[in-house]
Amino acid sequence: MARGRISWQAIKWGAWALSSLYVSLLSGIVVGIQYDYITPFYSTTAIDLLVPYGRFFRSLHFFSSQFFFFFTCIHLAAVYGKSEKLPYREWLKLSGTLPIILLLLFTGYILRGDNTGASAGMIAENIINRIPLLGQVLDNLFFSVSGSGLRKVYVHHVITFDFMLLLCAWSHLRIYRVNVQDQKVLIAAMLFFSIIVSAPLEPEHLGTTYIAGPWFFLGLQELLRYLHPLLAGVAMPGMFLTALLAAHPGGSKKPIFLSIMALWLGVYAVLSCVAWLR
Amino acid sequence: MTRILQTRTGWSRREFFVFLGSLTLIYPICRFAAFHVPKKPVLINISKPILTGGYFVANDFVLFDRGDSVWALSRKCTHLGCKLTYHEDRDIFECPCHQSQFHAETGKVIRGPATKPLAFFPVEKRASDPFYVVTT
Repeated sequence: MARGRISWQAIKWGAWALSSLYVSLLSGIVVGIQYDYITPFYSTTAIDLLVPYGRFFRSLHFFSSQFFFFFTCIHLAAVYGKSEKLPYREWLKLSGTLPIILLLLFTGYILRGDNTGASAGMIAENIINRIPLLGQVLDNLFFSVSGSGLRKVYVHHVITFDFMLLLCAWSHLRIYRVNVQDQKVLIAAMLFFSIIVSAPLEPEHLGTTYIAGPWFFLGLQELLRYLHPLLAGVAMPGMFLTALLAAHPGGSKKPIFLSIMALWLGVYAVLSCVAWLR
Repeated sequence: MTRILQTRTGWSRREFFVFLGSLTLIYPICRFAAFHVPKKPVLINISKPILTGGYFVANDFVLFDRGDSVWALSRKCTHLGCKLTYHEDRDIFECPCHQSQFHAETGKVIRGPATKPLAFFPVEKRASDPFYVVTT
């Protein structure tokens, strides 16, 4: 092997993820100063077109959040093999951050109030409402888009899910500190990327025949075409989440759970491609 | 009692009762959260006259006036709630999320995954402005 070649696992993905989180949180505060959930689409468009540097700050918030999720997933894959001694309780909390980050991303999409966001909000509400017994409670607690507009989604995006994320990752973050000084290149790259690439926004057009959901939602959107919403929207994601939570790095049955996750991700990738190509 | 609780659960009697008290709070919270305040009926005035055989697209519905019959059909897909698009050339509603199709006159499903027909809203046609009042 050539000398000096760096293994992908040696890259400090965790530090990159945390730096992206910092940028996402700070840019989120800036965007929140101008954002109004009462008129979400107007507000988002105004931030992009009228507010000085609004397009840049919204792009920065959007992309840093996406990078945060992306780096967190790679970080998990990179350190998985070295985490055998991690207590099971800690594993549950840390792997539980992934669905919370997805919820943060998802509510962010809804808050745009554009074609994608509005449809995603309605779909989420309808899926949750199909859950027996708890459906209405959960919908009223977390979404209720058709009843309360984006009020609840906004509250959970800016407070609840962030609090849950910190709660789950707190003990991990206390041990592994990141010096922002060491992340100057990454932060500069994110700033530059946000200057040249705009965060997506899809206004409503007359005669729209196809709306693609957020990229991580595409497979689910495709599955909802064939299966009952309870199966496609709850059981399928639940299967992956259960396998993830059960796949403790030190567990004896981890090969089984890792195989389930790999198979699930493979099927989901194919479904996402089908939805994307429509 | 205290000793039994402590040995079996590791909790003191005080902690056990605090736990029970917290559990009893869950029920009222769930009832509170699950309650749907009934939606206040909204009257939408349409001041624009529609030519016979024409239609008017609003945010929540499409209003049709075909001379002897006037009706307003909901744009909310019965599958998962996405906003439907009206296609004049085929006289159908289509969902941009999963491509369910509905008949524009009857609201019935032409193609799934939706299974239930669309909702109609009451319409009042008037001779002067507002020419139509739709209750959603």
